[in-house]
Amino acid sequence: MTEVPFPGLSTENPDSEGVVSTWFVGEGESVAADQLLAEVQVDKVAAEVLAPVAGVVRLLVEEEAVVKQGEPIAHID
Amino acid sequence: MTITDTPTTPAPAASRRLSTSKAMVEAIAQEMERDPSVIYLGEDVGAYGGIFSSTTGLLDRFGPDRILDTPISETAFIGLGIGAATEGLRPIVELMFADFLGVCFDQIYNHMAKIHFESGGNVKVPMVLTTAVGGGYSDGAQHSQCLWGTFAHLPGMKVVVPSNPADAKGLMTAAIRDDNPVVYLFHKGVMGLPWMAKNPRSIDVVPEGEYVVPIGKAALAREGKDVTVVTLSLSVHHALDVAEKLAGDGIDVEVLDLRSLVPLDREAILTSVAKTGRLVVVDEDYQSFGLSGEVVATVADRDPTLLKAPVQRVAVPDVPIPYAHVLEYAVLPRPERIEEAVRRVVGG
Repeated sequence: MTEVPFPGLSTENPDSEGVVSTWFVGEGESVAADQLLAEVQVDKVAAEVLAPVAGVVRLLVEEEAVVKQGEPIAHID
Repeated sequence: MTITDTPTTPAPAASRRLSTSKAMVEAIAQEMERDPSVIYLGEDVGAYGGIFSSTTGLLDRFGPDRILDTPISETAFIGLGIGAATEGLRPIVELMFADFLGVCFDQIYNHMAKIHFESGGNVKVPMVLTTAVGGGYSDGAQHSQCLWGTFAHLPGMKVVVPSNPADAKGLMTAAIRDDNPVVYLFHKGVMGLPWMAKNPRSIDVVPEGEYVVPIGKAALAREGKDVTVVTLSLSVHHALDVAEKLAGDGIDVEVLDLRSLVPLDREAILTSVAKTGRLVVVDEDYQSFGLSGEVVATVADRDPTLLKAPVQRVAVPDVPIPYAHVLEYAVLPRPERIEEAVRRVVGG
């Protein structure tokens, strides 16, 4: 199992929280490595989250959920 | 040896989904890879990536010689694009908001659109003018207009308006490859931007690799038999939402997404109206002297007896777009107004 963390967008404040704006994949779907999984935002900075490995994705948070940087947002089995 | 068959259901492969803005960027990047004469210029299109994410990441990939940030001087940089196009490049030039056409319109309609005609067909202007349109987010009267009818009214330009990610990619590819000037208008509300109002229809499956949507072909966004809604851009999403709701009441709505204004797919309009006999036109541009009248005239010119009921038009009444949210929603073709028009044309 590979954890997909919320990316560290704010280096000044490692405890920053952000939101998962958009999921581009659905729960339980199989994804390829480097496939676009999500777009996230901290303040007004947006970033893409790509799949670190291929596998079946499990989404741990819903769109618009507030997440701390570094916390897992998905698993890939 | 015992073999135990474990029934396994493989997880469905995730279809490759993109937002409309990412699909647009993908088309531009693929055409830039394919053709070194393609360049992109405009305000904040470089490091910033376009204020509506139309060029995100392109500067990193293609460098400042092909992704050019311009000063705030639309006449100068649109003129620059026209000159580059006549000399053999295929520039994509971004006008940040369609509302700003007032400061640069001579370059657009007297030069970009006319050079091919004035040169007796000897000089081509293979240029794309991209621009953001549309309201719904309280940006006021000078940043919320659609104005596609204004571009379409003046001869010499093709005019395309994608409503979804796949069309955004396919129409951009077609626009770049076209030897005519093409105006490509993207509604801010269909781009799938994380900081705008959530719109699930702005994230969808987009074909990988080369993908072309022919300019001038409408798309049947939803089949139905009772009434035709002819529309485009963000209003397609509202019309589909209304159609799904009214299906529960036994009203079967057909939704035609025009995708191109010039050339206009008049045959698609006539085919659909011949089937349903009822027409609603939904247009986020101003009502008078524009697209909605042109669609109705298309039916009236060919065969007004196709219509079993008077046409309904849902457009922006002829007033500037208000800043106040409630007032803005009152003039925009929101789902409530579309539903009311559909019910009236079906009931009448």
